[in-house]
Amino acid sequence: MLEIKDLKAGYGEAMVLNDFSVEISHGQITALMGRNGMGKTTLLKAIMGLIPIKSGRILFNDTPIDNLQTYLISKAGVGYVPQGREVFDDFTVYENLRLAALGSSKQNLALLPKIYDWFPILKERLDQKAGTFSGGQQQILAIARALMTNPKILLLDEPTEGIQPSIVHEIGIQLSRIASETGLTILLVEQNVDMVKTMAEEIIFMENGKLTARCSAADLKNDDALLHRYLTI
Amino acid sequence: MMDILIPLIDASSYVLILVLIALGLMIIFGMMGVINMAHGELFMIGAYVMVLTQSAGLPFIVGLILAPLLVGLLGLIIETLLIRHIYLRPLDTILATWGLSIALKQGIVLIFGPEAQSVTSPIDATLIIGDFSYPMYRLIVMGISASLIAGTFWLFLKTDFGLMARAVIARPDTSAALGINTRRLYRWSFVIGTALAGLAGALIAPTISVDPQMGLGYLIPGFLSILVGGAGPLAGVLVGGGAVGGTSSLLTVWISPVAAQIAVFVLAILVIRLRPNGILGGKIEK
Repeated sequence: MLEIKDLKAGYGEAMVLNDFSVEISHGQITALMGRNGMGKTTLLKAIMGLIPIKSGRILFNDTPIDNLQTYLISKAGVGYVPQGREVFDDFTVYENLRLAALGSSKQNLALLPKIYDWFPILKERLDQKAGTFSGGQQQILAIARALMTNPKILLLDEPTEGIQPSIVHEIGIQLSRIASETGLTILLVEQNVDMVKTMAEEIIFMENGKLTARCSAADLKNDDALLHRYLTI
Repeated sequence: MMDILIPLIDASSYVLILVLIALGLMIIFGMMGVINMAHGELFMIGAYVMVLTQSAGLPFIVGLILAPLLVGLLGLIIETLLIRHIYLRPLDTILATWGLSIALKQGIVLIFGPEAQSVTSPIDATLIIGDFSYPMYRLIVMGISASLIAGTFWLFLKTDFGLMARAVIARPDTSAALGINTRRLYRWSFVIGTALAGLAGALIAPTISVDPQMGLGYLIPGFLSILVGGAGPLAGVLVGGGAVGGTSSLLTVWISPVAAQIAVFVLAILVIRLRPNGILGGKIEK
């Protein structure tokens, strides 16, 4: 579904991703783990076309998307929940959701009932400004907003960062449910081991801009060495 | 009584035109980070469209329709050839659009000559209520300006286009990641901003002398209005335009034009010193 080949990308002259390659298959929840500064966020930004790519290819359903503008990548079916949530503070919950439908396709407004069903808190607070939400609520809104574009794959950048543990767990459960209901493919960048254990079917590890290891969720549960090697500092 | 009322109406009329010009500037700056030094010249060209329409013997209303269309088209060409290459590089945009403003001014001088042109008012009537008398056309200009300002607010605050435009102002990357074609929004916002300037020029043409230098006289107060009002994009322009235009217009009548200029700049300096983000104090998110 998503195939990345020998990707080099970074900021200015400094390359953060060095020949990064990975394949993510349809309907799977993959977690990308690695220490800070290893290139996880850069990878997601490169997929979304938000930073220039030096070389390599990104194929989405066998079509190259690495030379497309960001909005076309989104329209191709790649949903993105950026680090730090980036909800529109001055917009109401409804406006945040509507905006995503306007950007993708107005027909996606028909997804609203499903979104409300998945995240009832949003329905209760449609007219509330997103800026008044807690971090966890903003994260839920950011995920719902990305889902409003009706993506085939969802890229999540550290959705648990700075969020209280009870909501982290709730988000994890809900995302798993959505994925199994809709067949949505998810690429989750995450440092929170509990979240990864709750959701992920496959885990990939990244070090210095390269893919260094790959394991199944069961392997991760049985083998703490992997976590120690790639996450502890 | 009339000593106060007439200058007040004059001031309101000036404020409304100023707000119309500043709104165009603000839309372009707020969305794209482009400081459009040629905005005054687009306003001037709007007035010249009216000069041309009248010399061709066409009705005034045709000029009012043609001016925003032609100036908007010019805006589209400028956006395509120049502006889109320098988005989000404010310093470069100042130089590029300043150069453009000189070119446009000289173009007008070449075609029409440096002397002032006059446009006759389509309505000669005067509104008289008791002691009060005021040219009808100026009142109509005020009415149209106020409706245009309200229309612009409606477009940006109440419509889907406005929702997307405000989203792009606040978070361009996130908006693009939601599928919004930011470049196309930039383009049409630029065209709307320039069309507003063209329409303002055409509207006000019968009340001032139309000459190649007229743009600067509105550009500077337009920028000051944005500075004084603050970055809360739309409302700030209203407050700033009111403060700058009101001060300038009233003091010109009550004291002298020089005193008015000094007062406006002192006002701007005080506001920037005491409230760096403007009277409304909105945050610039870029």
